[in-house]
Amino acid sequence: MNKIKNLYNLFEATLSNVKFAVVIISLFTIALIYGTFMESYHGADYANRLVYKSWWFILIEIFIFLSVFMATVVRLPPKKRLYGFYTIHAGLIILFIGSFFTYINGIDGSIQLLPNTPAKKIVINEDLLKIHFSKTNTEYKLSLPYTHKKINIDKTIEQIQIEDYIPFGENQIEWIADKQNMRQQHSSTYLLFNQNLSQKITLSLSPDSDFKSMQRMGLLNLHYMPSILKDCFAKKTQHGFILWHLGTGECFTAEEKNLPVDKTEKGTRFLLLKHQGEYLKFFPDVSPVAVNDDLTKNKNTPYRVLSKKIFEEKPNLFLFGEDIAFYDKSKDDWVVTDFKNGLAQLPWMNFQLRLLKHSTTHYPAEVPKAVLPVQENGNIIKGNLKAVKIKFYNKTYWVRNDGPLELTDGKNTIRLIITPKEIEIPYQITLDRFKMNTNPGTNDPASYESFIHLLDGRTNSGLEKHHVFMNNPLKYDDFTFYQSSYFQVGPNQYASVLSVNYDPGRFFKYLGSLLIVLGSIWHYILNRKKRKVSA
Amino acid sequence: MKTTKILLTLLCLFTLNSQVSQAQVNQTCTLLKDDIPVLAGGRVKPYYVLAKESIKFLTGKSSYNNEKPGLTFCRLLLQNYTETSINFPILIEHVKTKAFLELNEDETTLGSQELLTKKELIRSEIISLKENNSYKKDLTKLFNRIATLEKIQTAQALTVYTKTDSTNEWKSLSELSFPSLDLVNKAIEESKSLYTKDHGDDYLLELTYVKSHIFSYALLVALVGIFLTVLMKNNTAGVVASILALAMQTAGMIMRILISGRAPITNMYETVMFSGFGALIIALCILYFKRDKIFLLAGLGYNILCLFMMMFANNMLNSSISPLVPVLRDNFWLSTHVTTIILSYAALALSWMVANITLFKMRLNKLTSKEYRYYQTLIYTCIKVGIVLLAAGIILGGVWADYSWGRFWGWDPKETWSLIVLLFYMVIVHGRYSNWINTHRFIILSAAGFMTVMMAWFGVNYILASGLHSYGFSEGGAIFLGSFFAVQIAILLICGPKSNFKVNNND
Repeated sequence: MNKIKNLYNLFEATLSNVKFAVVIISLFTIALIYGTFMESYHGADYANRLVYKSWWFILIEIFIFLSVFMATVVRLPPKKRLYGFYTIHAGLIILFIGSFFTYINGIDGSIQLLPNTPAKKIVINEDLLKIHFSKTNTEYKLSLPYTHKKINIDKTIEQIQIEDYIPFGENQIEWIADKQNMRQQHSSTYLLFNQNLSQKITLSLSPDSDFKSMQRMGLLNLHYMPSILKDCFAKKTQHGFILWHLGTGECFTAEEKNLPVDKTEKGTRFLLLKHQGEYLKFFPDVSPVAVNDDLTKNKNTPYRVLSKKIFEEKPNLFLFGEDIAFYDKSKDDWVVTDFKNGLAQLPWMNFQLRLLKHSTTHYPAEVPKAVLPVQENGNIIKGNLKAVKIKFYNKTYWVRNDGPLELTDGKNTIRLIITPKEIEIPYQITLDRFKMNTNPGTNDPASYESFIHLLDGRTNSGLEKHHVFMNNPLKYDDFTFYQSSYFQVGPNQYASVLSVNYDPGRFFKYLGSLLIVLGSIWHYILNRKKRKVSA
Repeated sequence: MKTTKILLTLLCLFTLNSQVSQAQVNQTCTLLKDDIPVLAGGRVKPYYVLAKESIKFLTGKSSYNNEKPGLTFCRLLLQNYTETSINFPILIEHVKTKAFLELNEDETTLGSQELLTKKELIRSEIISLKENNSYKKDLTKLFNRIATLEKIQTAQALTVYTKTDSTNEWKSLSELSFPSLDLVNKAIEESKSLYTKDHGDDYLLELTYVKSHIFSYALLVALVGIFLTVLMKNNTAGVVASILALAMQTAGMIMRILISGRAPITNMYETVMFSGFGALIIALCILYFKRDKIFLLAGLGYNILCLFMMMFANNMLNSSISPLVPVLRDNFWLSTHVTTIILSYAALALSWMVANITLFKMRLNKLTSKEYRYYQTLIYTCIKVGIVLLAAGIILGGVWADYSWGRFWGWDPKETWSLIVLLFYMVIVHGRYSNWINTHRFIILSAAGFMTVMMAWFGVNYILASGLHSYGFSEGGAIFLGSFFAVQIAILLICGPKSNFKVNNND
C-alpha cells in the first residue's frame, strides 16, 4: 500500500512539476514544427498519419493533459491569487475533454451533390477494403489501418489472403518471370525520342501483362508483334498480304502459298485459305479475322491476315521486339531493320527509337510500390495510389483505389475494391443549382454558392430550400454542411461538394477557449494587484 | 527582322488608321486623365492607379524616363496607331533568367522588342522545367509581364465605360475597334461622366490615397520622432511625433478601408502596415503606465521598420488593392481574428525590440544589475500582452474555421505555426516560473522568440507555402526571412554569451 502511495506521490510530483511542463511543451513544439514541414512537402494526409494522428503525438497530448491536470490538483485548495491560473488550466482541461469527444465520436466528411440528383451518403476520410462474393452475395468490409507507411495486414477472408497495404504508392514496372515461357509472348521497353520529346513505351504480348500490344502516340501507331513475323515483312509481295498462324507462329505471304486473291463487285480485295478442308475467307483491307458466309467475324480460326497496304498512308510502326518495320514513303518501300547499337532511325520528324529492354522470359507488370508522397502547389503529384496486395489460389494480385478488381474461381466471382467509408444520413439533399460569381472583368472567383433542397422523410415539413455558401453553412440535425468545393459535370453544369461535420465536443471547446482567454486576463490583473500590494 | 514581323502581326490584329500623327496621339494622351475610371483586376479604379501599377509591374520602377505613368501607359497603348515602337525596359530578376536571356548579371532589364521575340522560347523553357523552383516561378512571372505588355499594346488592358444600345457597360479599347482616334477620344471623354452618373465618384478616393503618399510622410514623421526621443531628455516631442505618425497611418488605413470595403489586414502589405501601427499604439499605452523611454524607442523603431518594408520591399509586399478570395469575405471574422493575431505579433515585436536593445546595452556594459532586471520586467509586460492576444486570436481563428470550414482545428501550417509561437512563449513563461530560465536566458529567448513569429507570419507563406491559408502566398520573401534569421542569430551570438558583459547579477 505504501509502495503504491509512494509511486503515486512520485507520479504527482513529476507531472505537476513545472519543469515537466516545460519539457513536454518543448517536445510538443518540436513535433509541431516537424509536422508543418512534413505537411508542406508531403501533403496534409501524410502529415496527419505520420505526426498529428500518430500514437506518439497523442501520447504527448495526453502528457500535456496530465501535466495541466496535476499542476492544478496540487495547487488546491483554491487560493485567491491563483484564480486566474485555475481558470486557464480548467479551460485547458475542458478543451482537452472537448477534443477527446470529437476524436471519439466526431464525424468529418463530405457529400457530393450532382445537379438534380438526391444524395444521402457522407464520405469519410477512412479507407475500406470491400470484398464481395457473388455466390453467397456477402460483402466483407475491412478497415484499412491509418498508417503512413506500408504495413502487413495478414488476414484471411475465405479464399483470399490479404497481405500488404500501401497507403501512399505509385505503380512501377516490374518484370515478372513468365511460367509458361512461350517465346512468342515477349515484351519490350523502348525510348521514343527526338529533339523535343522523349517517352518510354512498354509493350507486351503476354496476356498476364498490364501492358498492351498496341499504343497510339499522337499520329503514330505502334503495333507490337511476335518476332517471327519480321521475316514475312521483309519478303517481297505483290498483294502485300501477310498471314500467320496464332498457335505455331508460322507466317507466309499470299504468293508463297499461291493463295487466290480476287476482288468483290465493289472492288474490295479478298483472299481464300484452305484450312481443315474448308475455305477461310479474308478481307485483309478491312479486318485481320476471317469472315463467315454471312460476313460475321469468325474469331475461332487460328489464322490472321495483315494487309501492309492499309499501314502505308499514316505513320505506323511495327515492332517485333528486337526488329522494327515501317513503310518509308520516300523510298516507297517497306523497311525492316534491327537496332544498330541499340538505336533505330525512324522516317518521321527525326524520331529515333532506342531498345531499352527486351525479354522472352519475363513480362512487365505494374506493381504498386510504397513512395513518399510529394505535394506541389497544394496538389499531391506523387503517391496518390492506395493498394492492397492479396493472394488468391497462390497467385498475387493488387487491389487499387482507382478501380475494382474482379477474380473468379469458376463458380464464384469476387469483387474487391478500396473505397472511402460512407455514412448514410436519414434525409436527402438535392442540388438545384451551383453558382460561381467572378470579380467583374476577370475569371477570378468571387463566391461559390449552392442552392439545395432538403427532404426529410421523418418529418412532414416537405421540401426545405437552403442556400449554402462560404461563411454561411447549413445546420441541420446535428450536422453542419459547408460549401467546400465544386467540379464541372457538363456544359454549364456543376456539381458541388459540401463538407459535413458533426462535432460533439463543440460546446466544450468553446467553453474551454473562453475560460482560457478570460483566465489569462484575470491572471495578469491579479498579478498586477499583487505586485502593487507588495510594492 | 523578327521584331518587325511581330509588330506587323500586331498591326494586322488591330484595325486602325495608320495615318495617325504624333500630335493626335499626344492629344489622346492628354484626354486620358488620371481620374478616368477603368475596370482592371476585378475592380474599378482610377486610370492613374492602373497605369502606375502596370508600369511598376513591368519595369520594377515607378516611372519610365521620368514620365508620368499615365503618359507612358498611353504611349504604349497607342504605339500601334503611330507605328512608332517604344523599346520599353522589362524587369528581369532571377540570375538564371538573365543567363537564359543572355544578359549580364548586372543588367536588370531587357527591351520589350527583343523580349517579345523570345516569348515562345520562354514558354517552352517553362514547360520543359519539371521542378517548380524559383527559376520557373520567375520565368512564369516574366511571361506574365510579357502578356501584360501585349495586352496593353493591343489595347485590351484599357477599359472605358461606354454607351451601348441598351445599357452602359465596360468595353476595352480593342473591343470597340475604333477606326480612328477621334472616336477613341470621344469614348474616353464621356467615360467619366457616364460612370459617375451611374455609380458615383467614390472610386476617386483611391487617386487621393495613392497620390497622397501618406505612409511616406508618416515614415518621415516617425523618423523625426525617434531622433527627438534619442536626443531629448523627456518624451514629449517623441510622443507628439508618434501621435502625428499614428494619425497619418490611421488616415491611410481608413482610406484603404473605404476603397476596398474591408478591414485592412488581408495581405502581407496590410498586415505589416497594421502591425507597425498596432505596436506603436501598444507602446504608447504601456508608456503611459510604465513611463519608460525604451517603449517609445521600441514602438517607434518597429513602426519605422514596418514603414520601411512597405516602402522598399515591393517585391515581397504588394501595395495594390485587389479583390479578396471568397473564403475571407466575412468582415466580422476577418477584422476580429486577423486584427487580434497581428496585434499580438505587434506586442511580441515590442518585446523583441526591447530584448535586442537590452542585449546591445549589455554588450556595451551600460547596464547596472538593477536596470537589467528592470528591463526583464518590461519585456515580460510586452510578452504578457502578446500571449493573451495571441491565445485569443488563435481561438477566434478556431471559431471562424469551425464556422466556415467545419472544423475548429485542422493542423493547417498557418494555424499550427501560430500555435508554435504561443507554445514557445509558454515555454519561456513556464521556464521562468521554474527558475530554469534566469534573467539572462529570458532576455536571449525573448529576442530569439520573434523568429518563431516571423516564421508563422512570413515563413509559412514564403517557405512552407501550402494549406488553406494559401491566399497570402507570394514570392521573394524567402531571402528576406533568411537574412532576418541570420542577423538575429548573429546578434544573439555577439551579444548573448554571458562572458561578454559584466553585470553584477545574482541569478
